[in-house]
This record gives sequence, C-alpha cells and structure tokens, in this order.
Amino acid sequence: MRIENHSSHQIDYSQSLTFIFNNKTYKGYKGDTLASALVANDVLFFARSFKYGRKRGLMAAGVEEPNALISLEIGGRYTPNLKATEVMLYDGLSAVSSSNPNALDFRALIKPFHRFMPAGFYYKTFIKQKVWAKVENSLRALSGFSKAPTEKDVDVYDHVFHHAEVVVIGGGVAGISAALEVLNNSKTERVILVDEREHLGGELFNEFSTDDAASTWHKDSIEKLFSYMNEDNSRLTLFLRSAAYAWYDHNYIEVLETNATGESLVTEQGQAARKTIHKIRAKEVILATGAHERPMLFETNDLANIMLSQSVRRFLNEFGVISGKDIVLYGNNDSIYSTAIDLNNINIKCTVVDVRSSEIQSEIVTNVKGLGVKVFQGYAILKANGTHLVRSIELSQVALQGKEWNVSGGSQQLKCDLLATSGGFNPVVHLDCHCGAKTFYDEVSQSFLPQKERNNRQVCGSVAGVGAWQDAVGDAKNKAQLTLKSLGIVKKINQDKLSTNYLNFFNVSQFFTPVEILNRPKVFLDMQNDVTTLDVALSIREGYRSIEHIKRYTAMGFGTDQGKTGNINGIAVAAKFLGISMSEVGTTTFRPAYTGVDFGAMAGREIGDFFDPQRYTTINDCHVSSGAEFEVVGQWYRPWYYPINGEDIHQAVNRECLAARTSLGMMDASTLGKIDVQGSDAREFLSRVYTNAWMKLAPGSCRYGLMCNEKGMIIDDGVSTCINDNHFIMTTTTGGAASVYSALEMWLQTEWSNLDVHLNSVTDQYATIAVVGPNARNLMKVLCQDVDFDRQNFKFMQWRPGTVCGVDARIMRISFSGELAYEINIEANYGYYIWNQVALAGKKWNITPYGTESMHVLRAEKGYIIVGQDTDGSMTPMDVNMGWILAKDKPFSYIGRRSFSISALNSEERFQLVGLLTKDEQVVLPEGSHIIDNKSRSIGYVTSSYYSPILGRSIALAQLKGGLSKMSETVLVKIVQEKQGLKEIPCEVSSSVFYDINGEKVDGND
Amino acid sequence: MFLIDCPYCKESRDQNEFSPAGEAFIARPQNPEDLSDAEWADYVFYRSNHKGDQWEQWVHTNGCRKYFLVKRSTISHEIIKVAAFGEVTSDSEL
Repeated sequence: MRIENHSSHQIDYSQSLTFIFNNKTYKGYKGDTLASALVANDVLFFARSFKYGRKRGLMAAGVEEPNALISLEIGGRYTPNLKATEVMLYDGLSAVSSSNPNALDFRALIKPFHRFMPAGFYYKTFIKQKVWAKVENSLRALSGFSKAPTEKDVDVYDHVFHHAEVVVIGGGVAGISAALEVLNNSKTERVILVDEREHLGGELFNEFSTDDAASTWHKDSIEKLFSYMNEDNSRLTLFLRSAAYAWYDHNYIEVLETNATGESLVTEQGQAARKTIHKIRAKEVILATGAHERPMLFETNDLANIMLSQSVRRFLNEFGVISGKDIVLYGNNDSIYSTAIDLNNINIKCTVVDVRSSEIQSEIVTNVKGLGVKVFQGYAILKANGTHLVRSIELSQVALQGKEWNVSGGSQQLKCDLLATSGGFNPVVHLDCHCGAKTFYDEVSQSFLPQKERNNRQVCGSVAGVGAWQDAVGDAKNKAQLTLKSLGIVKKINQDKLSTNYLNFFNVSQFFTPVEILNRPKVFLDMQNDVTTLDVALSIREGYRSIEHIKRYTAMGFGTDQGKTGNINGIAVAAKFLGISMSEVGTTTFRPAYTGVDFGAMAGREIGDFFDPQRYTTINDCHVSSGAEFEVVGQWYRPWYYPINGEDIHQAVNRECLAARTSLGMMDASTLGKIDVQGSDAREFLSRVYTNAWMKLAPGSCRYGLMCNEKGMIIDDGVSTCINDNHFIMTTTTGGAASVYSALEMWLQTEWSNLDVHLNSVTDQYATIAVVGPNARNLMKVLCQDVDFDRQNFKFMQWRPGTVCGVDARIMRISFSGELAYEINIEANYGYYIWNQVALAGKKWNITPYGTESMHVLRAEKGYIIVGQDTDGSMTPMDVNMGWILAKDKPFSYIGRRSFSISALNSEERFQLVGLLTKDEQVVLPEGSHIIDNKSRSIGYVTSSYYSPILGRSIALAQLKGGLSKMSETVLVKIVQEKQGLKEIPCEVSSSVFYDINGEKVDGND
Repeated sequence: MFLIDCPYCKESRDQNEFSPAGEAFIARPQNPEDLSDAEWADYVFYRSNHKGDQWEQWVHTNGCRKYFLVKRSTISHEIIKVAAFGEVTSDSEL
C-alpha cells in the first residue's frame, strides 16, 4: 500500500502514470520503480521460482533482488529478465512476470516430490540416464526465466569512450564525498561519478526522517556537485542510472547507462539510444559501491513478504510504500532497529526479534524499547508459516555461546504479514575483484572486505566496512586525499580521525545459523536458483570441498542476481558443515558482469552494415549492373555467379565454365592480396619465405610459390612477379592477405632486420582483370597494340608492360584455370573503364564474365588447391602432392624446411590430397562428407566437390589417409540425401587433376 | 584491456590497437638442419608459459605496425617496461 501524506523522497505525486502488469492495469507515480508501484497496488507475487515453481515476492529494492524477474514490453522492444526493482516506471509501461505467479504451474503441482529433487537432480535423472535429448525442450520450457526475444530490436545503443583522472563508482554518501574532495582540491583533474540509481544519495534518504543533519548534508553536497557540473568545460561528469559492471586491467571500466526504460525513443528529431556503454580509462579509481544486506536463515524463508530490513526501509522512505501492516523485524545487528523507528514514525505496528544477547543495550535498542515496541532479545525465528505469503512465525529462545548460538526451549507463534530480516551486510567487492584483487574476512562485520592496499585504487564507505554515514563522509575524504597524493596533486595528506560513536550496522554477532536450523527443509540460500542449505549439505556429502565446486554442483549464485544476497550465507553454511572458518572457505571468483548487460548494448552500433567492413573492387558497379550474386570472401564482396534469364546457380556456372573452356571468359581478380616487395635483398627474402627457388627468376617472369610456417604447414600460395632484381610483386590468397603481410613483417622486423627489404600492401592500388580461354590471345591483340603476344615471345608465366586502351598496364600470362589466360593489372581507378572495354572488345568471342563459383570449378578440374579449403593448417606440401615445389639446394634453410624431415610429417598414414570420382557420375558429393572404412570409421573427408560441365560428370578433391598410395581403389563416402537419409556412395580414388592432364591448353589453340 | 605504450609512436594506446606475438627472445636457429628433432621442436613448439614477469613480442597492428618488446607480469598484467627491438636482447635485462 501507499502511505498517505508521506514525504517520500523520489516520488512526484503530481505525475500519475498508468501501467500494465500481468495483464492488469495499475496506477503509479513518476519516480516509482515498477516494484514500488506494484507494492503500492498491493501486488505481492512477482514470479515463480526457477526449479520448484514457488510463488515469490520481493526480497530487496535494488540490483540485488533475486525474485522479481519480469519481461518488459513486447515485439521489437521486448527485454527479458529485468528486475522489477530496477525498472523505472513510465506511462504506458507493460510488463509480465518471467514466470507467471498466477498461472497454474506444473512444478508447483508436484510439490510433494520437491524433496526428491535436490541439487544434481536433473543431471542424475536425465543426463546420466541418457534421456536428456527427449526431455530437454519440455524441461527448459518450465524454467523460471523469460523467453528469448523473437523480433529484431528496434532500439539503438551507443558506445562512448572517456578518459578521466579519477572515477568514483557509487553515488552514495561516500562517493559524493570523495568526488567533492577530489574536485575541491584539484584544478584540472577530470572526475567521473557513476551511480546505478535514479538519484545521488544511496541509502542516505533512509536517514532523512530521523536525522536533519543527513538531509542538510545531502542538499549542500548535491548543490556543490551541480555547481561543478555547470561550470564551463566542466571537469565533472555524472552518470546516473548507470551500472559500472566491469573493471578490467589497467583501470579500464565499463558502465551501462540506461537512458530510458522501455518507452518509444523515436521522435521527430530522430532516435535516441536506449542504453549507452561508457568505456572509461581512469588513472585512479575510488570505489564507494556500498553493501548489500543479507537475509537471516530459517525454514521456508522464501515465502512472499519476507524481505530485507533495509529494503523495506528504502521502499518506505524513498517511495512511500509498504507491503504489510503487522511487521516482524528479525536480525543480528542494529539495522532492524532503525527500520523499527521508521515504522513507528508512521504508526505501523512492529515487533523486533533479535538473536543477540539481551545484554546488548546500545542506544538505538534502548530507544526502540522506549517507543513501546515489543523486543525479543535472545530469540530466533525457526520457521515462517503460510501457504505462499508469510502469515506467522515460529520463534524460540536461544542459548548463546560466544559467537555461536543454539535453539533452547520451546517455540511460540507470532502473527505477522511482513517479515524483514537482516543477517549483516555484504560489501560490494565485486568490481574490485574483477582483476584479481583479493578479499579478507573481517570478524567484526562478519563479511568479506576488499584487500587493503591496491595501486591506483581506494575503497571508502560501506564497501570498506564503514557503517555510519557520518563516518563514511570522513572516510571518503581521507581516501580521496590518498588518491590526490597518488596523482601527485598533494604532497601532504590530511587524515581526519573517524569517530566511533555513530550507529554502525557493521557490528554483527551470532552470524552462523546452527546446524539444527540448517538441516531443516526449505531453508533457501539462493532464491533465484532454488538452492537450499540441504543442497549445500548434499554437495559436501558427495565429496565437494571447494566453494567453487559447491557453487557449480548446487548452482548457488548462478542466477541473474549473481548471488548478491545469498552467496555469503552459502559460504557460511558450507563453513558450518565443513567445520572450517569463513577465510578457509573463501569466496567464489567475482567476474564481470556485475549485473545484466543487454546484448544490444554490447553490440552498440556495430550491427548490420557496421558489423564488419565491406570491401568492393572498383569494378563492382559492373558486377551489380550485370546482375551478379555476391559472396563475401575476407570482407570482400566478390561476384559469385552471374545468372541470366532466370538461371539458377548450376545453370549459370555451367554456362560460365564452358565459355571459359571453349571461347572466352573474364573475371575480376582484384581482391587477391598484393604485396610490393622492394630492396636489394628482395630476392633473398622471397627464397626464405617460399619453399621453391627464386634466385634465378628473370625480370619479366612470374613464379608460383607455396608458403609454409615453421611447422612445415601450408599457409598461403600465389604468384610473384619479378619487376626487376630489386622489385617483386607478391600475390596472396584473398582471405590470407592481412595475415601473410603481418607474418612477413614479423620475420623482417624480428629476425632479419639486416635484410634490405621493404614491404607495402598494394592490394587496393591495382585492379586485376583476368581474361581466360582459347580466344584470350585474340582479345589481347585487340586491346593492346604495344605488346607482342606471340606464343613464343610472351610465354606462360611471363609478364609484359603495355598500354591497354590507353592505360598503363602490367600484363601477366598466368592461369588459374589451365586455359590460355592473361591478367591485366591497371591502376585501381581504371578498373571500371578497362572492364567495360574488355567486355566490349570481347563481344566478338561472346566473352562471359564469371564469378568465384566457376573459378572454383575451373581450378578444381585442374587440381589446383585453394589454401584454407583443400588445406586446413595441418597439411604439408607433400600431403597435397606438391613435393616438387620444395627446393633441395637453397643455402638458407627456408621457413618450414627443417620440419619436413620430421618423421611424423613423412608418415604413410597422413591425410593426403587425392581426387574422387563417383561411380555414378551425376552424384555430386557434399563438401565435408566423410570417407569411411569398412567399419564405418572416418578415414578422410571431401574438401572440394563440383559438377564439371566440360567433363559432364562430378569431380571432388578429398583428404584421404594414405590417399596417394590408394590410386584407383574404391572407397565409400557417407552422405545424407534428402528424403533418402544416409547413403554410402562408392568412389574411385584418382589423381587430383581431372582435365587436360598434360597441360596442353595453357598455350591456346593458335 | 591493457594500456600499452608503443615505443615507436611514444603514445599510450588501447590494447585493441595491438596484437600479441608470443614470447620474446625465441631466436630462429642459425642452422636448423644441424638440430635434432627434439631441438627443433623446442624452438617451434615449446614455450615457458612463465608465471611472473616475462618479455613478450607485441605488434602495433592498427598503428605503426612495428613489432616491439613488452615486459609484462602474467599474474597482475602490469606492464613493467616496453622496448624497441635491439634495445633489449635477453631475458635478464631490464
């Protein structure tokens, strides 16, 4: 309900908002979270739990909430698994529970069987029995999380980079105080202050009603901060609604800012980003991340309306809402008494159950007793009663023995409709630990605190175990002074002495729940994953000792809340059962992200056209106007095939291949990597990185080379052209250009810095047009008059400078099809012009442009390999039957050479490249199909497979174990055929050269 | 995400401009053919995977494209020193 006439600090009562939750319409106010608005409307059930389908209500008011998972909006703005406590209300909001608490639920129906479903249940029952595949879909549908989105996200998301001298994480008392201290004592340093909530102030709002000094301090501090913000060229940047979710190495921090909750962001001005990831590089970091309250443990502690004490207080003070009228407060520290005072102020009945000794007579305890509030000191709650909602509690006196306690005496019942507990506070050390910083166990607060010393980082306020807000102000100033010193701004630091007179929640006694209670059923540790104390006990019985293993066995802390409320209790339970200390158990590893981050935000603007660079050749417009289909090869958009008159890919490729074989084809080869190699040692360099000889290659000639790594494996191939003794142009595969260039640079810079060689990538500087086919020479004679194309004077593997249609060109006579072919290289800007000129002049011979698919067929017919398709990084030149390319007598032991003599690389049993001819000539084997032996085991696989129109049959290249010694043998290839299922196709092992075996075509017909 | 000082550009830049290029001071043997298989394998495959401070090669891929040396703690990821090739030639030097 909403408390009437309450001066809550976040709500603007003048702005009423309408929203829909689980198909019902409600009203709330500006400033509400979805959670607070629902509490105001007496909605108490938010979702069902993950495993047992138990109805759950709110436990907390912020990021640590484990239960209240919802899906926001529908369609393109659907967001799954948000916490209702973090969703700010807006007019027209529409949300549903991730798992509807009001619907009939199968998991709840099988309630009597829940005790047979402990940790490991699904694994033992289904996976171990090998029936998982049959039940997986139906079981997953039962889980308590939202369904995945099905539509494209209509929103945009941004990434923004920042640099700052000081980043303060957390905008509570300590964070505000630290930021001001830095700003007040420096002149140019940039400060970024980050907080996940809507307003600066953290938990301080809770003190306003009882402590005027708190509200005065808050008002003054915010005014001061805003005066810094309003300066010209302000050096203060403030991010609210912004969760710092990761702290990576070298003070690199990522922050997710929620600019708007779920409302439409499209306006006439354009579309604003829904969320922004701020990527911040900081010199110094001040952590003021605060602490999360943890619950007390007792039987059925997961009923709805069992909440955390400070969360009840926050709902009350910030939002003016409360979900009960008869309240019991239960805890082991003074936090519950401050909640009691707040409740008493608004005349709500409450009773305090304090597990600590009645000898504790601190000021606040006395005050609460003085208000007439019933206080049970030295009592514990054993069980909460109620079907789904807490109705009463069972409490009993306890016997204290130092820090330990035990139940003593009979129990009594106490009615209540809301139970708020506090088992102490867990400092939010998560971020600090992301880069490996350690925590230590503090006996006073019974919690893990961040390690004391760390370079370029300070911790202050509750995260450092400083409980009272007045102390947090001083602590933050002191720590900020240390930051200023580390920056070299101040030499001598002022350190205020902190008082110890203030109310401090970080004084916790009787933290460890006795085994007598832990051994009861349904004492939940992790609400989201339904992990109970008995699950922890079971994992220990089954032999797990490390908390990391216990976590993984029970799934404790695996939820979207990452165990913020449950994990430390879980560690305490493990410690109790194992009989060791908290320090000995230790924490699990804290990893990014601290809280949920949207995939959309991670992707930012790098989607669609901006996902990856798109590279087009200068001839691209010609391909587009010819109606080409494209394929992406290493970022390049290459014509795949050119369909005409409604052809499919097979018809188009058959036509293109036959044109190149019988008359004339042309292809855009501009994407091949080109590296300009210059210097007096260029020749020596080539002979070191290629396996074959280069010392005698004359200017005017070209040579094919195979490049290996030191392991002896093929990494690239291509033709290099000798321009003159000091100048070569190397070509690489399209996809390998960047990595080859980098590898070559590495050799030159790290090993061979004495060689006079300079490399330059010139891929983009030249356009390359291949003209291919028996009529290629006839065409070249038309295109270029200043070169002698006579077959004796311009031989295969030679190049000539010439003028093609008035443009300076290098013409190479090289061939990747086995046909007579020339490659015309011109300055890239002439690509479009020359392509059109070639097409025009070639009309006479019906010149046919062909794409990568036909190129693959033509090269496969000749058995030419494609590195990366027919080889996979584990193939030597011998494996692809290219032993001929290994020079025997080069003085320098070229890259990879030594490896060729290793016995393993000479085994008969290696995969070797062979041809495969299906017995049924019309069957085209799917690439990737396995060749099998008589026991159906794989002995190889198909790497390339096509229908060859010139041969009128299918051809394939394959890696086959010991293949080179299996010529003419019959092997079986297992394939999946549509409708017919698995089939074994008999094939004959053959040479990998299928067409023009003697290489007679390369000189042409004339 | 490291912040790396490129010794050539003389600027601190984000890690995504750089690529790691393995342990430093793994010299290519002068005469590979004279080595046993085990010695050759030691050069090609085996690395110390040292826990602690180690010298590494990095390259400023999206910058000056120079290879250089980085002494880095493999525990804390602190970069202790960067150097151009030739400035430092062995593990022991700092």
